Amino acid sequence: MADSGTLHSDSNSRGIAADLARAADALETMQASGELAPVVTVAPASPNVPPALFGAGGPMLKRFDESTVASRKGSTAPSPPPSVKGIGKKVAKPDYSEQKIVVAMVGLPARGKSYLSNKLMIYLRWLEYDVKVFNVGQLRRTKARQKAQKLGVKENHNAEFFSHSNAQATQSRDSLAEESLEMLIKWLKEGGNVGIHDATNSTKSRRAKIEARLAKEKGMILIFLESLCDDPAVIAANVELKVSQGDPDYKDMSPDEARKDFLRRISEYEKVYETITEPHLSYLRIKNVGEEVTMSRINGYLSSRIAFYLMNLHIRPRNIFFSRHGESQYNVEGKIGGDSLLSPRGMQYAKALPALITDNIGEKPLTVWTSTLKRTIQTAQYLPYTKLTWKSLDELDAGVCDGMTYEEIEQAYPDDYANRDEDKFNYRYRGGESYRDVVVRLEPVIMELERQENILIIGHQAILRCLYAYFHHLPQADLPYIKIPLHTVIKLTPKAYGCDEERYTLPINAVDTHRPKPKAAKQPNVHPTTQRIYYVEEEVKTSA
Amino acid sequence: MVAPLYTTDSGLLFHAGKILVVTIGLPARGKTHISRSLERYLRWMGVKTQVVSLGDYRRKTLGGAQKLPADYFHLGEKSPETIALRKKVSDGCEQQIWDFFKTGQVVIYDANNGTREARQKLAERFHKKGIHVIMLESVCDNKEIIEANIRSVKISSPDYRGWDSDKAVQDYYTRIRDHEEYYDPVEEKDWPYIRIFNVGERIMVNNIKGYLQSRIVFFLMNIHNTPRTIYFARSGQSLIEHSYKADSDLSPPGWEYAERLKDFVLERRAKNLAGRGVEMGGKGDSGLMIWTSTRRRAHHTAWPFLQAAAASTSSMVTPAGSHLPTPGNATPINLNPSSIPTLTSLTINTSIPPLTEAPMLYSKPRIKVIEKPQMSEINPGIWDGLTPDQARKYYPQDWERFVRDPYAFRAPRAESYHDLSVRLEPTLIELEREKQDLLIIGHASVIRCLLAYLIGLPASEIPAIEVARGDLLEVTPASYGVHCRAYHFWDGPGRVRDEGDFGEQKDANNFYENYAEDTKGKRKVDSFFVGNNLGRMEVPGSGVMRTREPEAGLSELLS
Repeated sequence: MADSGTLHSDSNSRGIAADLARAADALETMQASGELAPVVTVAPASPNVPPALFGAGGPMLKRFDESTVASRKGSTAPSPPPSVKGIGKKVAKPDYSEQKIVVAMVGLPARGKSYLSNKLMIYLRWLEYDVKVFNVGQLRRTKARQKAQKLGVKENHNAEFFSHSNAQATQSRDSLAEESLEMLIKWLKEGGNVGIHDATNSTKSRRAKIEARLAKEKGMILIFLESLCDDPAVIAANVELKVSQGDPDYKDMSPDEARKDFLRRISEYEKVYETITEPHLSYLRIKNVGEEVTMSRINGYLSSRIAFYLMNLHIRPRNIFFSRHGESQYNVEGKIGGDSLLSPRGMQYAKALPALITDNIGEKPLTVWTSTLKRTIQTAQYLPYTKLTWKSLDELDAGVCDGMTYEEIEQAYPDDYANRDEDKFNYRYRGGESYRDVVVRLEPVIMELERQENILIIGHQAILRCLYAYFHHLPQADLPYIKIPLHTVIKLTPKAYGCDEERYTLPINAVDTHRPKPKAAKQPNVHPTTQRIYYVEEEVKTSA
Repeated sequence: MVAPLYTTDSGLLFHAGKILVVTIGLPARGKTHISRSLERYLRWMGVKTQVVSLGDYRRKTLGGAQKLPADYFHLGEKSPETIALRKKVSDGCEQQIWDFFKTGQVVIYDANNGTREARQKLAERFHKKGIHVIMLESVCDNKEIIEANIRSVKISSPDYRGWDSDKAVQDYYTRIRDHEEYYDPVEEKDWPYIRIFNVGERIMVNNIKGYLQSRIVFFLMNIHNTPRTIYFARSGQSLIEHSYKADSDLSPPGWEYAERLKDFVLERRAKNLAGRGVEMGGKGDSGLMIWTSTRRRAHHTAWPFLQAAAASTSSMVTPAGSHLPTPGNATPINLNPSSIPTLTSLTINTSIPPLTEAPMLYSKPRIKVIEKPQMSEINPGIWDGLTPDQARKYYPQDWERFVRDPYAFRAPRAESYHDLSVRLEPTLIELEREKQDLLIIGHASVIRCLLAYLIGLPASEIPAIEVARGDLLEVTPASYGVHCRAYHFWDGPGRVRDEGDFGEQKDANNFYENYAEDTKGKRKVDSFFVGNNLGRMEVPGSGVMRTREPEAGLSELLS
């Protein structure tokens, strides 16, 4: 193997070594002479805490960046040495362009197909895959509405329409399903990653058609996702949801009529329904959401993640509570990061919290999750529940800016500061994290949250924004502007199409740490919805 | 070791209860490979797991195949003595399983379990005592995999000591044939099952419930036995080695290190591929995947690779045995810095234009670099930038606890090695998944955790694994474990030494990351092979090259 030696006696290399030694010396001298103080210090854990050497608030970082420009010139390597300076940079989205997956749903009506496709979409979108659901029902309604508006013809989509003995309607439904699949394929070709074909796909011949169509496309993986449900209570609840949530198919009917018609529609499907038994297909079969999972021929990393995620879902009723820690000393001083203790008002909040939670949850079991930082542990200290500490729940690491105020950052690094405001989600603090990094770090937490029942998370602003955005399915760009005020408990109740939300604000004053998006005429709209979507978002061209 | 995010009172994890995984499959179907991989993964997660191998037990109690009656492996009519003998072995194994369940959580029973009746009875016995039973069948219809398995593993087993290899293979096939006659594939749906085809090619799952179980499935879905090599190297020296926050760039020697690393990896890789009968860049070479962290020093160390990949021709491999590239013989690449895109994207596709003409040595290596935020070095928290002396002075109590248990202790705002392992867990599944050769350009702390997983070292040893800058570690997954070799390719600044020209460069301040080096690494990952079908064994230097001279670590800062 290669040996050491020759290069190091080389004079050039000596020069570099000397450069570096000088730089190190200079820094040491500065440190010794006290020139570096007062650098931003972290909360004193023990007396005589040394200064944070490379904090952006001190003179070290800038000076070092300047000094290294010179020492870098000595490199004999052909690689160009990019310069390092400032307090962070924008980081682009990972490249998932090679992933092309078609998830085709299979299942009778009211078996939670749309629920599963929706959950899957939210999860994968949150992980930054480009995901879209192509719902055949939406397409059908949209087309019918357009037809009604343009031609004044009103189509009747009652149970008769879904009967397999109704040849004309069957053909019309088949062509709708095909059209929807074509839209999906087109969208994948244009750069999408996962297209979910949300239709009943209830017969072998229909599935064979999908398979044959996708065999013509290169590099697209087809997975069937069958949702079975034999729990009468779940089916009844799904039917009720369908009837009561304003499905346009039933808008002119009384709830009773609607229910009857929908049940008839289901029985029309049942007549021809064939569960997946084709041995050559890739499929996942989910029974009663998470109760039982069958997998066959599932390959590929993303597919295995999808499977793992779906295995961890459940639909038992439960609540998820979010609260930030009580107001901290750093909050009062306007500083970011750090590991400070609670302010007196923060302590009041910690003391008031148990009553609020126990009133709300009653006798039901609850587990409290905190980060490893003192302010969340302190906030949770009076809660009479099991408490777990997660490193993954620690606040976004502001790197070199940790412990500074926004004003200080703006003064010291105006360009960087503006950069972050421009694209907060993608901005990674030097030596720290971006919101995207936090999302990646929180993925196991999301998985665990999906599995668990009643959970209270005592967390931090950026962390709760990310988790909140997942549950409410809010877009990435808006995520850093979600309002999660101090001294407020947010209660989420997962529902079929989103989460119900209640907020309880305790009457204990606290500073406002929310920074609105600067220079934006319109603040991001971060209002969640639990409404099911009944029409396709964009207009569809009307074909016969 | 990793991720017990929390433990329950019973010491069992994830509220999963106790689980018996019953392997099913004909001989030479990779059952042991799968069992051992699963055991390693579960142990790494902190789940008390044990493989109980019927074959090992039989060999231990009765000796090799020669000592057995002729009808031992014939499933047809047997003499009463043989039946009694076989029963004695299976009863003994079962007793081992019961014994382990007294304190452990998961047992993987590695045996053929080929007949439905026998495995039903077995499952019922454990089910009655509240143990969850999972059937894990390994089905293999790929003749090449079977033959390779027999040749590489089975005939080297003590059963065939002293046999002629072809004769041993024939004998083994006879053994399989006898089993085949009586083999029932898992079709019964009364127990939860996982069926794996051709070691991970596809997988079928029935009625698997529970979190730990779903993790097992997730893991098994991602393993494979495609031949590949995993390389580990540290990033080059950076300008501010001792600050986590400063995230500084490579120093000039760091850039040179990066060049040297690129040459050396490509050279080693060409050799390894040649060993598999594949030409680098030719047919059968699926390319090299490089993972780095998002820290500048790590992904900049991967830059020369991107240039090599972008160059349509390449003369970058220095002949073996040559010295480090000096300005004179360095690669003749001149890039106009302005043509280099700034590194902002997480995935870097090689978009650098072709470079100067150079003689063709091999065709363009396919290389992809991915930056993973989970792979940043261990966070030193408030100890960032401090020397050990300073840390001891300012945080005496924390320091004491750290020295007592460097794996589990978390300094204020820092990560413990345990935290780091939890953070790395998703990466691990991707590592299993990856079929291409993989180079991980990482930080010592990260490499330690990943190596500990691959080799199967206990958690407490992780902080003390020595990973010196200038060594290339090669890990090759083998049938029942991994081969690990270390090659020394760089001796310049940044490599920790306590003497010589660059003595003044040793970086005492970076002690948290470099804990092992600073304490004269208690464990060196030299060449060794870990694990075989006789149980967990470490065979230092067995049959593999030893390429690295032991070297003194840095001064004993923590004495």
